[in-house]
Amino acid sequence: MVSKERAFELIQDSFGSLQRAGLLADKIVASAETVLLGIGSPLDSIGFVTFIAEMEDRLYRETARDIYLILDDIHTFNIENPYLTIDALARYIVMITGSQKEKHG
Amino acid sequence: MGKRPVMAITGTSRGIGSEIARHFLENGYDVAGCSRGNAAIDMEGYLHSQVDVGSEEQVRRWIRLIKNTYGCVDVLVCNAGAIAAPTPMAITSGEVLRSSLNTNVEGTFYVCREISKIMMLQKHGRIITISSMAVGFHEEGTSAYSASKSAVVELTKILAKELAPLGITCNVIAPSIFMTESVKAMGEAVLKRAMEKLTIKRLLTAEEICNVISFFAMPQGGCITGQVIHMGLVI
Repeated sequence: MVSKERAFELIQDSFGSLQRAGLLADKIVASAETVLLGIGSPLDSIGFVTFIAEMEDRLYRETARDIYLILDDIHTFNIENPYLTIDALARYIVMITGSQKEKHG
Repeated sequence: MGKRPVMAITGTSRGIGSEIARHFLENGYDVAGCSRGNAAIDMEGYLHSQVDVGSEEQVRRWIRLIKNTYGCVDVLVCNAGAIAAPTPMAITSGEVLRSSLNTNVEGTFYVCREISKIMMLQKHGRIITISSMAVGFHEEGTSAYSASKSAVVELTKILAKELAPLGITCNVIAPSIFMTESVKAMGEAVLKRAMEKLTIKRLLTAEEICNVISFFAMPQGGCITGQVIHMGLVI
């Protein structure tokens, strides 16, 4: 299981990768309220998809398990009004890494 | 010696997919292929997986395997497709429609989506999808198949626009007739009628199709995206 604190670290590391790849102009410090998708997000659509791909990659390395971030499965995510914060994503990561461990373990 | 380029191809157990895989293996690529059945290729550099491309979960696992094995994907050829014997729309079953949409549209969608995530991180890549001459012909009896192959063109063009800023190109090949078991099964009358409509009235060769893939895949093809190459006919 990935803890919420560790999820924040992985998100911060992913921001670093995006910045090095030129997909983020400025350094972002990940906080619970930082918007990833929706009004106020520093990521454009390409940046967001790349961020998700980067996170899936890091989660695989972290857990040695196939973990996929599926927006529809995030409890607070509303497809009609796409809006996602780091806090919501981190909680989802905690949930999905925990449940997948149970499922496969 | 440099690292071998990596190509992913769907539908490699037979037909044109098998020919494409063999061609690029012979030309220095590592090839990750898939089909619903067992491997039909036993060559150095070939990695086979049993995958139903219409299954989102199976596609995800396959692409993760490719990433873990090679670390990158240079070229994707979305070849897997389902073709049914032509029937007028009035008597085409829902099952035929669902099968066409599942393999041809969902399969292409899932594979392109997962591979594009890898290509976005590496900031290069070539995606090639396979449509059909049937789209241009509006051929009677192919409503389900043609609709699905038309969707392949549209999703490829949209993906081309989305991925262009990251140096990834997406193009479509619409071949006329390449003789496969599936095409043979459509019957001589259908084949004869299709052949009469072609501008170049002969069967395509695997070499000709591979040549177009090579054209799209080459480094100098970086500004060609969202295009459809119709082989054997003028649209």
